[in-house]
Amino acid sequence: MKLNRRDLLKAASAVGALNVVWPLSAGLSPAQAREAAEALGAQFDPAPFTLGVASGDPLTTSVVLWTRIAPDPLAPEQPLPEVVEVEWVVATDRGLRRVVARGKAPASATLGHSVHVPVGGLRAGTHYYYAFRALGKTSRVGRTRTAPSGRISRVRFAAANCQAFHDGYYGAHRAIAREDVDFVVHLGDYIYEHGPVGGDHVRDHDSPEILTLTDYRRRHALYKGDASLREAHAAHPWFLTWDDHEVVNDYSGTGGGAPMMQRRAAAYQAWYEHMPHRDGGESALPDPVIHRNRRWGDLLELSVLDLRSYRSAQNLPGGTILGADQKAWLKQNVDRAPDAWHVWANSIMLSQLRGRPGGGYMFTDQWDGFLAERKEVLDHVHKSGLEDLVVITGDWHSAFVDDIRTDFDDTASPVVGTEFTAHSVTSGAYSAEWNAANGPLMGKANPHLKYFEGNRYGYDVYEVTPERFTTHMRVIEDRRDPHSPVSTLTTFHVDRGAVGSYEDPATKKSPAQYRRD
Amino acid sequence: MNLVVNGDAEAGPGGTAEPVESVTGWKVTQGAPALVGYDVGGGYPTPSDPGPARRGSRFFSGGTSERTALMQDVQLPRKGPTGQAAVDAGRVRYTVGAWLGGYAAQEDGARLSVEFRDRRGTPVALTVLGPVTAGERGGRTGLVERDGEAAVPPGARSARLLLVFTRTGSGTSNDGYADAISLTLSTAGDWS
Repeated sequence: MKLNRRDLLKAASAVGALNVVWPLSAGLSPAQAREAAEALGAQFDPAPFTLGVASGDPLTTSVVLWTRIAPDPLAPEQPLPEVVEVEWVVATDRGLRRVVARGKAPASATLGHSVHVPVGGLRAGTHYYYAFRALGKTSRVGRTRTAPSGRISRVRFAAANCQAFHDGYYGAHRAIAREDVDFVVHLGDYIYEHGPVGGDHVRDHDSPEILTLTDYRRRHALYKGDASLREAHAAHPWFLTWDDHEVVNDYSGTGGGAPMMQRRAAAYQAWYEHMPHRDGGESALPDPVIHRNRRWGDLLELSVLDLRSYRSAQNLPGGTILGADQKAWLKQNVDRAPDAWHVWANSIMLSQLRGRPGGGYMFTDQWDGFLAERKEVLDHVHKSGLEDLVVITGDWHSAFVDDIRTDFDDTASPVVGTEFTAHSVTSGAYSAEWNAANGPLMGKANPHLKYFEGNRYGYDVYEVTPERFTTHMRVIEDRRDPHSPVSTLTTFHVDRGAVGSYEDPATKKSPAQYRRD
Repeated sequence: MNLVVNGDAEAGPGGTAEPVESVTGWKVTQGAPALVGYDVGGGYPTPSDPGPARRGSRFFSGGTSERTALMQDVQLPRKGPTGQAAVDAGRVRYTVGAWLGGYAAQEDGARLSVEFRDRRGTPVALTVLGPVTAGERGGRTGLVERDGEAAVPPGARSARLLLVFTRTGSGTSNDGYADAISLTLSTAGDWS
C-alpha cells in the first residue's frame, strides 16, 4: 500500500479530520504507519535514533545528553528488548577522536527507551561533540557547550516557543541551528494536544486529542519528525520550560480530579522522555522539577520558571501562578542575586495586557489572572534593588516589548525590568486585520507597552555584554517553507544599570502594528 | 520481601481522620496525610468496603490538604540474588503494587510511583500506578488494586517511591486513599 500525502490531506480536508484516514486505525503495520506519517510531513533520522539527539541544562562542568531509541517512532510499542544498552561518547572534535568521556546507560521501556546522561568532569566554556551507539547503530553527532565560569565579555542565546506542527514547518529551528549562540531556551508549547485541524495546512496532527502516555509519546515523536527541530537540538544545549499545551490548554497543575491527574502524569512523563532535562535530586518522576537557577559566567543569571505545575485556578483572591515553594525560591534568588543580567525564562506574559482602553484583561491565564502574586513578586524585585532584569516570554504568538512596572495602572510606579515576548515558531497569530486594528488599541490601553508585531513568525536572539542587553527579533519569510529565509525584523536594547528599553534606530522603521515612540 | 517501610500505614501516629505531622518510614514533602482507621466510619472506607483482603487497621489518606505527598527512598540490596551484580547483569525484576482509591463519585485520588535511580540519582526506570478514577471504582468508596512490573535496569542502585494524594472540588477532606504498598525484587529465574 502506497500512501500519498496529497491524497491524505485531501481526504482529511474532505472529512475535516485526519484521524479518519489515519492508517493506524486502519490496522496498518508500524512501518506503514511511519510511511503515512512521512507522507503527512514527518521525517526521521535513521533507526533506531529516529528522534535525533539533544543536550541540555549546561553547567560549568556538566551537561545532560539525551536520546531515545525508537525504531518505529509512531508505533505504540517499540520492537525492542525491555532494556537496551546505549553507549555514549563525548569528544572535543566532531570526528569523536579526542574522547574525554564515555559510558553506558540503560534505556528502559518504562521510560520509552529514553536515556538522560548527565556527563560530568567537563571543562567550563567549552564546545563538545557527542553521539550514541545502540543495536549496532550510531546516532548523528551532536554539539554542545558547557557554561563558562568567571568573567566573560559576551553571551548569545536564542529563545523559541509555540511550534504547532500543523501551522507550518520549523524554518525558525533550522535558523536557530545555524545561529552562533551559546544555548537555546524553549519557552513552552513544544507540542499541542488536540486532534487534527484539517483544512489547508502543510501537515497535520495524526491522531485525535492525546490523553494517555502512549498518545503523548507518539505526539512528541511526531513533532520531532521535523528535521529542523532535531537539527536545532543537535546544534546547541537547551534550557527548557513548558506552558499549557504540553498537557492541555489552560490547565492548572493542581486542579482537576483523578482523570486529569492521570493525564498530567502521562504528559509530564512523555515530556521528560523526549527532553534533555536534568532530573533527580529532590524531585521524582512523574513530577519533574523544571524551575532552576543557572549562571553563564559572571554575566548572566538565568531563572527558568515553571508557571504550570503549581498554579491554582485563575482569578482567585489568594491565587498563585508559581506555587508557594517556587515563589519563595524566586524571591530568594532576587535577594541573593549577583551583579549580572538577570533573565527570567517565563512561559506566559508577565506584563498587564488590556485589550482596549477601559477594557478588561485579555487573558487571565497569564499573570493577569494572578494579580496579588505578580504585585508581591515585582514589589520584592523593587524593594531588593534588583537591577538589569529582563523577562523573556512566549505563548502569545506575537511580539511585544513591555516596561515592567510594579503597578501597571500607575505610570508613576517604578520600572523594574523589560519583558520581551517573542514571535512563535509556527503557531498561528491573529489576522493582519486584527493586529492592525488592535495594536493601537492595546498601545493606548497599556502605557507600559512599547511595541507590538503580530504578522510574523520566528524567534529571538539575545546578545548580552556587560554594557548592554540586545534582542534581535528574527522572523522567517514563510511558515510553509521548511527552508524559509530568515531576517532581523527589529532590534531592541537595554543598557546596563538603566531602566527601560529602546529600539535600534536602524530598524525603527520596520513594520509593526504598534510602537510607542 | 517488601522493601517498603510502613507501606500498610500501620506504624506510627494516626488512627483517626486527623492529619499527622510525621509518618514512619516516609518523608512528608507536601501537605499532611492522615492514617485513618478502617473503624473510623463517617464515609471513610470500612472493613466491608472494597480493599485489600488483609488490610490491617489503617490506610493512608490525603488529610485536609489540597495536595499531600510522601516520599520514601529505598536502597537496593548490595549483595545476594537481587544484589548489584545481579542487577547489573540484567537478572532482576521489580513489582510495585498498591491499593488505591477514593470516596464515592468524587475524583480525589492517590497515585503511587516508583522511580529507579542509578548511583548518581538519574532516573533509569519508572512505573506509575493510579490515581484510580471514580469510574474505575464503580462510583463506590473503596480501594482497588494496581500493580506493575518491569526489569530493574543495569546500574540501578535505589528506588524512590512517591505517594501523592490530590483533592478536587471545594471540600476540606482530601479523599485519596492508599494501602498495602509494596515493592519487591525477583530474579529473572523466579519468573520462568
